[in-house]
Amino acid sequence: MKRALTAACGALALVSPAWAATTAKPAPPPPPYAGVYQPKGVDEIGLWQEADEQERALANSPLVIRDEALTAYVKNVLCAAVGADRCNATRIYILREPTFNATMVPNGTMRVYSGLLLRVRSEAELAAILGHEFGHFEKRHGLQDFKAGRTASDLLAWGQVLASMSTSYNVRRSFNDLQLSVYGSFFRFNRNQEREADLVGIGYLNASSLRPQAAARVWQNLVAEFQASAVSRGLKKPRFNAIAFTATHPPEEERAAYLGELAAPEGDARDEGAERYKGALAKWLPVFLDDQIKINDFGASEYLINRLAEDGWTAPLWQARGELFRARGAPRDLVHAADFYAKAVALEPDLAEAHRGLGLSLIKTGKASEGRAALERYLKLKPDASDAPMIGMTIGSVGGTQ
Amino acid sequence: MNSMSRVAAAVLLTMGTAGVAAAQERTAIKQGFELPAKSGKKILVFRPKVSVGAQSTGGLFEPNAEWTDQARKNIDAALKKRQADLGNVVLMAPEAYGDQARLVEEYTNLFDAVSQAVVTYQFFVGNRLPTKKRDNKAGVFDWSLGEGVRNLPGAKDADYALFIYNKDAFGSTGRKLLQAVALLGPGIAVKSGEHKGAAGLVDLKTGDLLWLNADFAMGGNVREPDGAEKRVGQLLEEFPGSVAEKAAAKQ
Repeated sequence: MKRALTAACGALALVSPAWAATTAKPAPPPPPYAGVYQPKGVDEIGLWQEADEQERALANSPLVIRDEALTAYVKNVLCAAVGADRCNATRIYILREPTFNATMVPNGTMRVYSGLLLRVRSEAELAAILGHEFGHFEKRHGLQDFKAGRTASDLLAWGQVLASMSTSYNVRRSFNDLQLSVYGSFFRFNRNQEREADLVGIGYLNASSLRPQAAARVWQNLVAEFQASAVSRGLKKPRFNAIAFTATHPPEEERAAYLGELAAPEGDARDEGAERYKGALAKWLPVFLDDQIKINDFGASEYLINRLAEDGWTAPLWQARGELFRARGAPRDLVHAADFYAKAVALEPDLAEAHRGLGLSLIKTGKASEGRAALERYLKLKPDASDAPMIGMTIGSVGGTQ
Repeated sequence: MNSMSRVAAAVLLTMGTAGVAAAQERTAIKQGFELPAKSGKKILVFRPKVSVGAQSTGGLFEPNAEWTDQARKNIDAALKKRQADLGNVVLMAPEAYGDQARLVEEYTNLFDAVSQAVVTYQFFVGNRLPTKKRDNKAGVFDWSLGEGVRNLPGAKDADYALFIYNKDAFGSTGRKLLQAVALLGPGIAVKSGEHKGAAGLVDLKTGDLLWLNADFAMGGNVREPDGAEKRVGQLLEEFPGSVAEKAAAKQ
């Protein structure tokens, strides 16, 4: 891995040298806060205005989860990581989008995807990702990235025009080589920005009151999820240490390894805020789980549900597992699904959706009378459900078999 | 990732597109729609989408905040100045909040999507939607945003809504140099600068698209007040009811 890093740090003017200085020592704390930053120069001012315009649209987007308490909570976690003075530079928008992601644009708009909130399990884990994103902001990566892209495309434009002047095969080949190396170094530049943001992010965590060791675990968990997903689809085990030519981020294992090394050892005893996190997410957990199930990745969803259940199975978790199996829908799955729904109902007898799933699963596995009873219970609990007429029809159609 | 695809797209696309941009201007009016001059109808204008910047040597868009601000100001002023020529009352849409703001955002995006579909599938031959083939042959212009437009803020007090889109990328010095070298050397046509605009009129009772003008090679330097007037003039060319303007233009 070290070899890969050294190789990445050599070569080409596009590479930022900032990453070169770090190995095996805990990441340094952030420099003193320099006050509210304002963009400088035509490019940066232009990028900020473009981002302002996008933020106007984002603020009115139907994708944004408008839960003031949840947004404030996520913002507090960011502030706990980067400090109250720095975090005022950002506005957080939580997007209902079930993938593991968060983004930061030059003007300080931070997008946090609900898939990230489902996957991290404590304030420290969330802070690790938010701190990384804030690192992009602090280091003005958006601007550098724009400039690097412009340099790369300028170079290629000239290369293409000049190469077209010659009919020689060698010139053509040289241009192709140039093209590959420009693209390659641009992707490498992107990966080094990510590494630098990781370094800055873990530096915030080291200086905060949260446990910095959580950062490495985020990536280990993601690796485990990808493996579970691959196994359930019968795919070859993916490689988590190889860098693809077009990779925009460093591989997960590399990140887990260096984040582990960069975490301050004295921070190991700190609190992660797992219980607080659980409490803040409780209201949204069933919704996020439902979104995850609908992306149709059985292995990953099963992995996530089982991991959440490590602290004990709850009704929403049994319900989600039932939905997952019923969504795949083979007769063998429905038997399991009915079992999971029954467990959900046992823990929380008034969970309407569990009765619905239980009824539908039972009917399909030959237990029509029990299924009918469960569906009737569903309608009793939720008479205004949007699918009430359809469920009513289902009850009617199985009625005759008794 | 975003920036990478931007670079790739810029490098791959900009070389070959010189010829396409030639005559990309089209206007269409819904059949039977007439807006007599001086009819006193009220037209609600939503915040125009304006972005102005430069085009780098490699073809990337370089946003420029100062130019964008100037253009927005100039276009607003030019619109107000033209309302007399339009023969109707032009109202700026009120600032919206909460659900109303979300609705405006949604309809602005819907208008973008529909007008893009019109441009792609109706304005330019060779790219027909199967469901619109017959319309195209008969010259029918039949697109709608739906009756939900009635709920837009300010819709109660107006008859029509006007949406405006404008994007300018002025060719940088590097781009112009590349263009010259490419033409003189290997004889490749490289396009320098991009000036796109579209304007559309929507019936606030039915949601029907009444008139659309799209032009991907517009004139007028929007950074200057005079240029912005010319641009707005081109955007609203053949605007229903602007008879006075047409007559004046012919002379």
